[in-house]
Amino acid sequence: MEKKLGKQRKNKGVPLLILIIAFFCILGVVVLLASHQISREMSDSAVQNLSESLDLIQCTIEAILRKEAEFQKLIAKETALAADPEAYIRSYEKNDTMVKLSLILSGEESGVSNNGEAFTAEGLDFSVERTVDGLPISQSYVNYMGAWAYSMKCPVVRGGETIGDLYVEYTYDSLDRSLPDGFYNKQAALYIMDAKTQRFVLKPKGMGKRSAGHLNLEDFYRANSIEDQELRGEVEIALSNGQNILFYHDIRNVKALNYMWAVNDGAAFLVGYVPLDAIQQEGRTVNKNIFIVVFVMLTAFLLCCLLYYFNQKQQNKIRREREEEREIHNKQLSEALQAARVANNSKTTFLSNMSHDIRTPMNAVLGFANLLAKEAENPAKVKEYTKKITASGQHLLSLINDILDVSKIESGKVVLNFEPFTLNDLVSSVDAIIQPMAKAKKQNFHVSVTGVRHEELIGDETRMNQILINLLSNAVKYTQEGGDIWFRIIGLKPRSSQYEHIRIEVEDNGYGMTPEYLETIFDAFTRAENSTTNKVQGTGLGMAITKNIVELMGGAIEVTSQVDKGSLFRVELECRVAEGQQDRQFWLQNGIERLLAVAGEQTRQSVQELMENAGFPADAAADADQGLAMMKNQPYQLVLLDWDLPGADAFQAALKAALPGNGLLVLLVSDEGEDAQARLPEGAAALTKPFFASSLKEKVAELRQGPDGGKNREEEADSLEGLRFLAAEDNEINAEILAEVLELEGASCEIMSNGKLALERFCQAPPGSFDAILMDVQMPVMNGYDAVRAIRALPRPDAAQIPIIAMTANAFAEDERAALEAGMNAHVAKPLDVDLLKKVIREYTGGLD
Amino acid sequence: MRNQDQTTKRKRLAALGLAAAMLLGLSACEKQRDSDVNLLPKEDKEKPAVNLFSPMEKTEPDTENAARNAADTTIIMAEEKLGVSVAYKTYTAENYKDKTYDDVALERARSNLDDIYLLNPDTIAILSEEGKLADLSGLECAQNLRDVVKAANLVDGKLVAVPQEVVAYGLFVNKDLFDRYKLKLPETPEEFLECCRVFKENGIETPVGANRWWLETFVLAQAYADLYNGGNTEAEIEALNRGEAKYSDYMRPGFEFLQELMDEGYIDAEKALVSEAIEGERQDFLDQKTPIVIAYWGAANTESAYGNPGFHMQAVGFPSSRGQMPVMSITGFAVGVDAEHKENALAVLDEILSDEALQAYAEINRVISPSKNVSVECVPALKPLNDRIEENIFVLGANAGMKLEQWGNTCQVVRRLLGGATVDECMAEFDRLQEETLKQ
Repeated sequence: MEKKLGKQRKNKGVPLLILIIAFFCILGVVVLLASHQISREMSDSAVQNLSESLDLIQCTIEAILRKEAEFQKLIAKETALAADPEAYIRSYEKNDTMVKLSLILSGEESGVSNNGEAFTAEGLDFSVERTVDGLPISQSYVNYMGAWAYSMKCPVVRGGETIGDLYVEYTYDSLDRSLPDGFYNKQAALYIMDAKTQRFVLKPKGMGKRSAGHLNLEDFYRANSIEDQELRGEVEIALSNGQNILFYHDIRNVKALNYMWAVNDGAAFLVGYVPLDAIQQEGRTVNKNIFIVVFVMLTAFLLCCLLYYFNQKQQNKIRREREEEREIHNKQLSEALQAARVANNSKTTFLSNMSHDIRTPMNAVLGFANLLAKEAENPAKVKEYTKKITASGQHLLSLINDILDVSKIESGKVVLNFEPFTLNDLVSSVDAIIQPMAKAKKQNFHVSVTGVRHEELIGDETRMNQILINLLSNAVKYTQEGGDIWFRIIGLKPRSSQYEHIRIEVEDNGYGMTPEYLETIFDAFTRAENSTTNKVQGTGLGMAITKNIVELMGGAIEVTSQVDKGSLFRVELECRVAEGQQDRQFWLQNGIERLLAVAGEQTRQSVQELMENAGFPADAAADADQGLAMMKNQPYQLVLLDWDLPGADAFQAALKAALPGNGLLVLLVSDEGEDAQARLPEGAAALTKPFFASSLKEKVAELRQGPDGGKNREEEADSLEGLRFLAAEDNEINAEILAEVLELEGASCEIMSNGKLALERFCQAPPGSFDAILMDVQMPVMNGYDAVRAIRALPRPDAAQIPIIAMTANAFAEDERAALEAGMNAHVAKPLDVDLLKKVIREYTGGLD
Repeated sequence: MRNQDQTTKRKRLAALGLAAAMLLGLSACEKQRDSDVNLLPKEDKEKPAVNLFSPMEKTEPDTENAARNAADTTIIMAEEKLGVSVAYKTYTAENYKDKTYDDVALERARSNLDDIYLLNPDTIAILSEEGKLADLSGLECAQNLRDVVKAANLVDGKLVAVPQEVVAYGLFVNKDLFDRYKLKLPETPEEFLECCRVFKENGIETPVGANRWWLETFVLAQAYADLYNGGNTEAEIEALNRGEAKYSDYMRPGFEFLQELMDEGYIDAEKALVSEAIEGERQDFLDQKTPIVIAYWGAANTESAYGNPGFHMQAVGFPSSRGQMPVMSITGFAVGVDAEHKENALAVLDEILSDEALQAYAEINRVISPSKNVSVECVPALKPLNDRIEENIFVLGANAGMKLEQWGNTCQVVRRLLGGATVDECMAEFDRLQEETLKQ
């Protein structure tokens, strides 16, 4: 679409460009034509002007000649009247115009001149037969003064009879004084040429760089390279006919208009040239101005075009940006809409599923409760129904917990609680839960820990536990009876010494998953749907929760699966290594200075790494012989024997014998079936693989202290016998259950229906009346927090010490934190887990003491 | 935000551009006038004019005339400095039948038609004798002149002319042709004749190109080689001025030499007699038909003369008993004693002969400057001639100190020889001239 628009824009631009170019072409042609027209007209006008100027000069010269002739006639008359004409001539003084007067009387060959010298007409050539005002004029010549001159002859007539001829010599220099100093801004050259001899008798007063001088017409032609015979022929004709001629020819590489202008019927010619530049000066100036104006207009137009172009470009850019922004918004909106639809569909599906999932156990609870009522007299049935009701209740609770978890994760309210934990505890707790489940389905549950360098780490143990339980319980669920489940913790190469990089693998050879399901396995509210798995109960939220928690921890989860072959989940996490207190002291206190591990390669390596990181390095031997040899050289107080080593049972006695008196032999056994356990020598201390330093430590402590002490104490502490409780609980059923439970445990309880009543009751009772207060949170009149704060604020000695335990359906971590902040000692979530409640009460009441 | 700034900046630039374009357009259409009332532009004040009469070389299209350019340059300098206008008046004879430049110059000077004249030595002598030339010794430029220049132009204690260049005449030879025939450049008249013989034998019709003006240089070189270079110059001149020695005795060997050149056909006497300087022999010399011509120093720098020949050209002195001998003939500018614009003319002369102007002149024209303060390197072709002058070996073609004018008279007598007169007749003419002079 955008491309199409761009193309359209381009398509619009091309005709516009062509239009502009065409416009300027037409403008250019018009300007050029106008300029040519102007040049032509100006040129014509200049030719006209030049002709007029030359006419004027011609007329001036002819007028001078006529005046000279008239004056000469006058002198001739005067001479005729004189008594002695020759004396009269001699008396005449020369002037600038008439440089010499001479008289030859009729019949004589020579005469006199006004300068007193004898005069003959020999040097004068009147053959040109030109006259001025009737007087013959001679051909030009260089006179006695060295100046170009001409003479006119006038008869001296006395009484009708010619008594002689008066010759008067005139110089061209005198003409020069009447001619313009220069025309066309002194760029034009003007010569006067004697027509017959074609010699230049008057030249411009300059030469060299300023103006070329020429001797005669031939010299003029040669100097100016006028070689065209046709032109020269035409000039010759004009000269011989006494006609004017104007022609174009370059003079010293400059275009010029040349002229030959007849004076006195062609006796002489004005010869010269005017450079065209000088003639067409005005025309060129006009053209120049036209071009400047056109140029300015063009520049202005181009500038406007440029401005328009840049402006359009800017506008387009802004428009494009806005469109892009709008598209992004639309996309986001459409995605959001899609997500909302999907979410809505999912939630509809989920609600439908939940409705089914919740109704199923609820149906069981209500159904069995109904049956219970009918079969109340039958203890066997009662026990069976109660067990089933409890199981259904548990399932219902886990369902609710998962829903709440997903809700919290999705709303971003989950906060990880980073605390030190040991992998040993983690594995143990998971093992404790999964092993029985696996055993129930006759599955083999294999646990292995390899390559881990640190077992004491910092992280949210509860959430990690949740991840592992989710993955493993799924594995158990979706693996057929007798299948195998592998749980591996693998230490990877750390990216930093402060972190332990671990990979958790949960593998099974169960039902597996289809590729389509794999794509949505981590989405909330999905569950593998097929005839097999439908038998399995689940919320479908577990994997979504798992993935979210893993990502929250900065880790990654991936899954590969094949239908009927099994699945493999891989979780990679980086956990900060806890700065563990190196407890070398513990070992020394327990009389252990050196430790020897006799084990297979993998176990040996694991033991050495973990013990070194625990601050108590261990020696290692590959077999019994090597171990015994080492024990001879060094006294070892603790020997770890890998029970999986071939022949371990054969040489365990030898090892034990080699130990000093208080030495300990601990067997590392795989927890794989009862057969292995049965093979253990009687009374041997055994430690289940995988090996952890902390578990060894616990085992050593246990061996040193004896196995029974702690257990008895624990059992004793479980009793709530004789304790008195004050409880605040607004729900009557819950209150009844609580009262019943405590009563069953031998404790007494007073239940108030809100916080205020509980506070009042506590105030009324003398100190020591109650051992602990169990406080609901959400209650009418006064909630639990306010009530606790009020109690803690009471001015009585037990107000600050009395244990107050929150007992609420608000089960989140922040609810627990709020309870603690309000002044409560502990938090127990509803529905009540009696064992947990007992444990907490025991912890805070110290009832046993 | 940045975009907005750039757009504003661009708009401002565009506005400025438009404003500038408008101003340009307006200014193009306007022309300033001096006054709102009088529509005519102010005219320059009429500059005082000085007329300068000088010969004019015929113009060649598209050729540079260094001598003319050099002279023009100094004239322009004077015009600019003095605020005068120098008007050239020129004359050049169209052919031998015409009056010569010298004739016209004499007539014009006598008629006071011009202010400054460029004159040949003989004309200087005549006019100074007639008292028509102003004394230039008061000019500032006169102080810088070389002694030889001063001596040549001093008449009765008056400095009558000053040149812009010292003109040295010599033989311009085609060295390639000399080399081709294994000839060394001649030192003596005998060697010269031998060279001519070899050339002639090798088919060169006329070994020496000549015109009606400059053949006397052969005569003068042989006549006065000893007089000017023998250490007894003044006494010998004095003897001639007193009539104790005869010019004809000095002149005879040179005339006999010319006679032999004519007799052997080494010179085309007929052609020479009607040929103008350079015009007659130039083309043959450039076409390498003639290996030897006579010319003046500046001809080697001028394209219209022998500026750029297509062969190896050298200028050497004339053959004489003392070897190759340059002949120095000093033309000069003179001012008419009654010139109409005498004061301005003198000022112009002082300017165009100043060291500054002569330096410019010499640099353009590559000549020997008359000022002792100015010297420029000559073109390579002139080096042999220049070397002799640098050694102070030369003869003067004209000497105002000799009562009988040399340059013009010798020229005239040589023309008579060319015209068919015998050597004896020519010598008789010298004796007559000497006698006439002594009578005066």
